Amino acid sequence: MIGTRVIAILTLLLWAVAARAQDPDPRLIQAADDVALAYVVTGDAEVDRASQAGLRGVSQTLIDRTTVEPGQPIGIDLDQDDLSLLTFLYWPVTDSQPSPGPQAYVRLNHFLRSGGVILFDTRDGDIAGLGGPDGAAALQRLAAPLDVPPLAPIPSDHVLTRSYYLLDDFPGRYQGREVWAEAPPAGAEAAEGVPFRSLNDGVSPVIIGGNSWAEAWAIDENGLPMFSVGSGLDGERQREMAYRFGVNLIMYVLTGNYKSDQVHVPALLERLRDEEAIR
Amino acid sequence: MTGLSFDPMLPWPLIAVAAVLALLIAVWSLWRGLRGWSLRGLAGLALALALAGPALESGIRNKLSDIVILLDDRSASQSLPGRGAQTDAAIDGLTQQLTALPDTEVRRVTVGDDPDGSLIGTALTKALAAEPQTRVAGVIALTDGLAHDLPQLPKTAPAPVHVLLTGQPTDWDRRLVVEEAPAYGLIDKPVTIRVRIEDQGAVPPQVAQTPARLQISLDGEAARSLDLPPGVPLDLPVVPKHAGQNVVSIGFDTPDAPTPELTTRNNAAAIQIQGVRDRLRVLLVSGEPHAGERTWRNLLKSDANIDLVHFTILRPPDKMDAVPVDEMSLIAFPTQELFMERIRDFDLIIFDRYKVRGILMPQYYDNIRRYVEAGGAVLVSAGPEMSTVESLNLSPLGTILPARPTGRVYNQPFLPELTEAGQRHPVTAGLTGAPVEGRDDHWGRWLRMSQVIPSPRAQVVMTGADDQPLLLLDRVGEGRVAMLTSDQVWLWGRGFEGGGPQLELLRRIAHWSMQEPDLEEEALTADVSGESVTITRRTMAEETKPIRITRPDGSEEQVELSQAEPGRFTANWTAPGPGLYRMTDGDITRVMALGPAAPREFEETVATGTKLAALTQATQGGVVNLSDGVPAIRTVREGRQAHGQGVGGDWIGITPRDAASTSGVTHRPILPGWAWLALVAGLALAGWLAEGRGWRRRA
Repeated sequence: MIGTRVIAILTLLLWAVAARAQDPDPRLIQAADDVALAYVVTGDAEVDRASQAGLRGVSQTLIDRTTVEPGQPIGIDLDQDDLSLLTFLYWPVTDSQPSPGPQAYVRLNHFLRSGGVILFDTRDGDIAGLGGPDGAAALQRLAAPLDVPPLAPIPSDHVLTRSYYLLDDFPGRYQGREVWAEAPPAGAEAAEGVPFRSLNDGVSPVIIGGNSWAEAWAIDENGLPMFSVGSGLDGERQREMAYRFGVNLIMYVLTGNYKSDQVHVPALLERLRDEEAIR
Repeated sequence: MTGLSFDPMLPWPLIAVAAVLALLIAVWSLWRGLRGWSLRGLAGLALALALAGPALESGIRNKLSDIVILLDDRSASQSLPGRGAQTDAAIDGLTQQLTALPDTEVRRVTVGDDPDGSLIGTALTKALAAEPQTRVAGVIALTDGLAHDLPQLPKTAPAPVHVLLTGQPTDWDRRLVVEEAPAYGLIDKPVTIRVRIEDQGAVPPQVAQTPARLQISLDGEAARSLDLPPGVPLDLPVVPKHAGQNVVSIGFDTPDAPTPELTTRNNAAAIQIQGVRDRLRVLLVSGEPHAGERTWRNLLKSDANIDLVHFTILRPPDKMDAVPVDEMSLIAFPTQELFMERIRDFDLIIFDRYKVRGILMPQYYDNIRRYVEAGGAVLVSAGPEMSTVESLNLSPLGTILPARPTGRVYNQPFLPELTEAGQRHPVTAGLTGAPVEGRDDHWGRWLRMSQVIPSPRAQVVMTGADDQPLLLLDRVGEGRVAMLTSDQVWLWGRGFEGGGPQLELLRRIAHWSMQEPDLEEEALTADVSGESVTITRRTMAEETKPIRITRPDGSEEQVELSQAEPGRFTANWTAPGPGLYRMTDGDITRVMALGPAAPREFEETVATGTKLAALTQATQGGVVNLSDGVPAIRTVREGRQAHGQGVGGDWIGITPRDAASTSGVTHRPILPGWAWLALVAGLALAGWLAEGRGWRRRA
């Protein structure tokens, strides 16, 4: 009697589990609904805490200043989670994190192809290029299986420099390092009268830099910065610029090259006016 | 052909040596004072000549017959009353006369119908090329002279070319000439068709003075009529009303006259103008940047035919930061200009997750409503904001939206499904991946939607959670409104649970809103290929009425349609001939033009010799009217006038060519061997006698 009951309960439980497996993770549903920002869980507790706090900081900035109101940032286990519900992924590069499995790379490549954006942060803006060990090797190991287009340092006329704020640098906790994105197609020169080139309608699937943005953005539960940036007023200015980069980045991810198109709008309206005159 | 030839018995150098020896002997004899020196020399030369073997050569000639090419034009214009019999009678008469001539063969060439008209020039060129030039004694063409390939006409011919014209001197015709007709036209922009009335032949005086009454109709609508005197060009403005084939039919009433005109088939023309849409302008207003925004951008920017004006509210009026304006890249939203001054320039306004937050003033929404009622289009892609107090439904625009929100938002995965109507509606019919009962491979789910109550007029074509309306379409006044009650169509683009036809669905919704004819719910189309026609009736109804087809001659026939898929009924039908057909099922009427309404053959019908006159003059031939009787055939010498008036009427001439062939060669030596021997011996003997005692003794 007891045996059959146990079996019945077990079957019910299994059925319930199977049924639940049908539905996506509620965290991800929430992320899709609220445009939540997501970060890759590296396994390094310090780094993950900084990522979460950083995305919380930039989300809060967006909520305070813009129409974008992201939900709580979520951590993503690349080997488990479905990426198709996400739009933006922050990926801090650490030496210690294990490479995701082949299934994860299939999902990642699909994510990049279908319009998702990954920000790789090697967090080594202070030491990179000095000849010592930096994040380049780890980045190569993690990003090699990805279908990444040719990259180039972000040119000064890239839409990232004007998607919300006007920026000429993309500082994080460190600054001055070059940030890389998809190279503009050959022959894409500045059109006459247009202040910056019209890049192809796509959005660069990856953006790579080492300015340790999450640490600059990071705030604790009370809304106070968690890491020092620079020193004194200059440091606070740098933190502000880091937030502005965060806002520009998310605007770029969500609106594509909308800002790049807007230079054409006056011309388009002008044309309508002309046609009216002809009529 | 006769000639001298040599058949040397020794190689030429030896003969030459012999001749030189003979001359040397003659010179030596002269020097020695011998009296027979000339005879000695001649003997030597004769010997050399004999060795060269001179002979006479001549060919054997066979007399060849003369060829007369008899061309009869049996194209459609020759089928006009009387012309066929006239041609037959003339062929008989001419053949009799020609076969009676000695050594004369007749080659018959018949010109039939061709899509390009009567190709008399080509036929003549071919016939002449097929015969030996030296034997052609004449060309006689029985035709109405209306050749359509004059550049192919030979410039000249080796023998006289005669044109015998069919038709009567009383023939006359009034025709409609389309001088200029555009093949394409922008919808709602006038294009100009230039037509004129032309009289040809012996027009009766009571007709010549009267104008023609033109009947003009576009797509089989009621005709406008106006009077147009012959010879005056008329510029006719026509406005293509829709994309695809716009058929303008122009015709005039047959004029009354004692002798009827030759044909009425050139009294009408069907002009097909392909209606083309101007560039479409779409105004996309995004209430906030969100994951689905780029979906709209991808769709609208990839369409080369769309000019996109996009505005995203990046910063709401109630949020400020301390950043100086010159460090921001924000521009003002030119609302007054877009929604008041320029609104009519847009074909579609898309509100993408738009919240009413005081940016647009109420009068703008009123203006948008008027714009839709006057033929504009609004598409609302709503997120959860629709269920809040910032809903567009609470603005003055709400009165024309196809549904109003209840305030409830479903936050659960759901599978979008097509409704009964959706399976028929061109916007959603045939979307790949639509869930079918009993099959698992359907498109992915969405995760959030708002609950709405559809307005009674609205058509619900897709449903979501709890079978609540997901996609609603409605017509307001002249315009259209569409509403998607979820903002998560982007999940299809992302491939969540396999994704779905996101671009196709949005493209169809947008274009349906802009009244794309291919997405019209009720449509009757004809796919014409040659004379076979595929008739398609698209409808939201369960069944269709049969199609009534009115033929060019006014008779009618009925065609039953069968259902090909939900909402699409088709039939294959073969037209009995070219012309203007009108088909209707009582609700929709379409006009289709199959082939030319007035085939080329009937553009001009009054027989004329002018087109072929250059060739007849170049060959001394003549143009003769068959209505005066079949001309007599005479033979004349080459180069002489080959046409004239005789006692019994016209005559035409053919030139016997006296052609012959050479079938062999005869070879006759000038002298036989023994004669040469006698000649040489005689000369030598005469020399000897002259120098010898014979002469001296006598002396």
